[in-house]
Amino acid sequence: MPVFIARRLIFMVVVLFGVSILMFGILMTFSPERRAAAFIKSPQQVKEIPKLVKKYGLDQPFYIQYTRWIKEISQGNFGWSTVASSPTLDALKRYLPVTIEMNMFSLPIIIVLGIWLGTIAGIHRDTFIDHTTRIAAIIGWSLPTFLFALILLMFFYSQFQLFPPGIISDHIDDFISNNPEQFIQYTGMYTIDGILNWNFAVVWDALMHLVLPVATQVTVVIAILVRVMRSSILEEISKDYVITARAKGVDNHTINHKHVKKNALLPAITVAGWLVALSIEGSVAVEFIFNRAGLGLLLVNAATQLDIPVVLAISIFLGLIYVVVNLIIDILYAVIDPRIRLN
Amino acid sequence: MKKLFIFLASVFLCSMLIAPANAANKDTLVSASLATINSMDPAKAYDDSSATKLYNIYDTLVAFKESYTDQFVPRIATEIPTVKNGGISTDGKTYTFKIRKGVKFHNGADLTPEDVVYSFKRNLIADCEGGPMALLLEPLTGATGTRKDGKIISGIFEKIDKAVEAKNDTVVFHLAAPFPPLMGILTYTAGAIIDKDWSIKNGCWDGNIANAAKFNGPDTGKEPLHHITNGTGPYYKKKWEPGKEMILERFDDHWGAKPVYKTVRIKIITEWSTRKMMFLNGDVNDMEIPAQYYAEMEKEKGITLYKYPNLGVTCAMFTQDINMTANPYVGSGKLDGNGVPSNFFADRDVRLAFAHAIDYKAIINEVANGLGTVPANPIVDGLPYQKDTFHPQYDMEKVEKHLKKAFGGKLWKKGFKVTLFHNTGREIRRVAATMMAENIASLSPKFKIEVAAMDWGEYLTAIQQNRLPVFVVGWGADYPDPHNFAFPYLHSDGFYSKYIGYNNPEADRLIKLGIETAQIDKRREIYHKIQEIWAKDIPGVTVIQRLGAKGFTKGISGFHPNPMYQGTYSFFYHYK
Repeated sequence: MPVFIARRLIFMVVVLFGVSILMFGILMTFSPERRAAAFIKSPQQVKEIPKLVKKYGLDQPFYIQYTRWIKEISQGNFGWSTVASSPTLDALKRYLPVTIEMNMFSLPIIIVLGIWLGTIAGIHRDTFIDHTTRIAAIIGWSLPTFLFALILLMFFYSQFQLFPPGIISDHIDDFISNNPEQFIQYTGMYTIDGILNWNFAVVWDALMHLVLPVATQVTVVIAILVRVMRSSILEEISKDYVITARAKGVDNHTINHKHVKKNALLPAITVAGWLVALSIEGSVAVEFIFNRAGLGLLLVNAATQLDIPVVLAISIFLGLIYVVVNLIIDILYAVIDPRIRLN
Repeated sequence: MKKLFIFLASVFLCSMLIAPANAANKDTLVSASLATINSMDPAKAYDDSSATKLYNIYDTLVAFKESYTDQFVPRIATEIPTVKNGGISTDGKTYTFKIRKGVKFHNGADLTPEDVVYSFKRNLIADCEGGPMALLLEPLTGATGTRKDGKIISGIFEKIDKAVEAKNDTVVFHLAAPFPPLMGILTYTAGAIIDKDWSIKNGCWDGNIANAAKFNGPDTGKEPLHHITNGTGPYYKKKWEPGKEMILERFDDHWGAKPVYKTVRIKIITEWSTRKMMFLNGDVNDMEIPAQYYAEMEKEKGITLYKYPNLGVTCAMFTQDINMTANPYVGSGKLDGNGVPSNFFADRDVRLAFAHAIDYKAIINEVANGLGTVPANPIVDGLPYQKDTFHPQYDMEKVEKHLKKAFGGKLWKKGFKVTLFHNTGREIRRVAATMMAENIASLSPKFKIEVAAMDWGEYLTAIQQNRLPVFVVGWGADYPDPHNFAFPYLHSDGFYSKYIGYNNPEADRLIKLGIETAQIDKRREIYHKIQEIWAKDIPGVTVIQRLGAKGFTKGISGFHPNPMYQGTYSFFYHYK
């Protein structure tokens, strides 16, 4: 196992190098002037473009710009983000916790509920439960996220003033900024920081702001896991060992939950792993509608406004996340199925 | 399942109980913003989002009076200098401002005339890339920047040093030449007053002109006052989370009237539906209303809406000297039915034909929802010396007449192929370009016109390279003077006129004369002539002057719509 992990970690460096070359290469297809235009806001400033090109060396060859960038990031300087108006790393530190906090709540629900619903649907194939679950999953999957989010917001917030958009209420935000010694922000995630500071008003308020985004995320994303789990259960349930077990008189519950479910988990774990990796990108629609300044919002703004340092930094970061998640999935395979040997 | 339901139901009920805690605090005003602040450094901030915050944190010498763009109120100055009160010299080259006493900075330090002098010199010396300092450099030094081709212009800092001086309780500006719009420029945040000692301590220019070069043109984000502030304004910056929100707190030692709202929270809310719901729920009290949503907001209750003209104009510009090098937008590059020559739009009849092909009324009514007017020329309504001149109306018979006349009839016989441009996401610009294309193409199958969009950065670059035969583009005022519009649109070195290859020596002469003339009557005459030149030459055609719109929670008053400030601007200390 350690050899396997070490090998994968070396592989990770290669992947990140590849990702950076690819992203840098794609961004270089924009003319130096267009990249410089990211720094200006009005026609009045256009005469600055040639100066900006010269100043930041945007017209130099690819390898010079790339090595300069590598040199800079090796010193921890990821560049200035015009979209976030701060150094890129500071921006990531500010935006990432918002995305992680939402997924910290939505992912466990998606995974546990998704696997459970998928299993039930599979076991009770072609029954009422199966049909209901499948229809609900299809509706959830086909719903445009932004539309569903808006409907929830219109119903709960507009009509009943419940579950407001944003991350935290203004009075709580005031309390936190006015009392930095009473409320220490360890993680940037209000629910966790609230618990660590033993302040449950903050936790409760943050949770109220999380209800609708998490509900949207769960409704829209769960479908894929339910469907994978269901089909995986169906495949397992028709295998010889199940027929043998039944012939031997093993009860249904033991067969389904001890044998079938465990074996059917492998594909579901792969999908769940991808969902974890994907979730770090942040759900753009959810973050937009519920006004949560997370990584998805940052990435979209950066990409549309050609904020190259942010686009590069997030690409590298996501590359890292994907490699690590894949590594964890592989290890989980070995844990769940002893037949799989990592080496 | 049952347990899950009970849990969810209890969450729902509990949240209803705590809901009143969110009720709006009367001391607090919440303002919705769309964009991140670029910088808090007055030498760098040149976007609406940054400037609106700076206006509340820093004081300037003077400000516009309520809704006027030609009347001023003193702020750090104690009176508005005029020729009559001796504040402006008769040659129009010296301005003297009496400086207010007893003014305190947010850190408790006292403001002196020396701070005012330092503020101007420091901001001019810093002259950040993409910043606003050219606005002040031009009147004070005659140059429009401190650098040329990346190198510092020799002697520029000495000129800056001599341009501003403190004399007893006054600050004196020595202009390179008379510059009538100076007062308007002094209202802008480029002239924000900063604390000398505090600024030096925080890495700004050290006060020694010999060291100025070291403090010139800092990198983006590295400008010393990017995220720290210390002004004399009615509010101080309590908290700034870039991309999320800024909190301003009332400065109780401010020299002027005490602002009503103790705390102002400016939140970035990108999505319109969310912004609207928060506004209608009272969780947002002040926001800009984009034109396309004005009609739907008029139906809502419990809010107050304002609409007012903005000093800005959208024009379709015709490039008279198209750059033909590897240019795919001009077809064959000849007047052979498959392209256009470089001088296609140099023919006045072609320009007139395109100008007559736009249905201006339809654009105002159907695209801008009535929130706009068609100005006769770029010197728009709200600017001094504005004059109604000839504006080509939508008239397809005239389009045909001019096309038949153009190039001695050759154009009508051979036809042409050309591409018209607008930038992405701008509906009015897209519609104007499309109208020209479709209406002209409907006259003959020989007229092949395409419409294409480019994103902002690419668009500006292509304009600069003279590659776009026709482009629809806007301009917003830096200061409320016709010079700020006449120069970019009509001077041979102006931003748009230069890139369309327009060159009229008479226009150049009048524009120079206009800016150097102080007497109002003479200026009026000059700018009327300039507007007649536009109407005669048709270098482009004005499409729309937009109206800005702003919304408030009912009960908030004190807002003065000013054409200089779009809906994004808020002077919170005026609100009651």
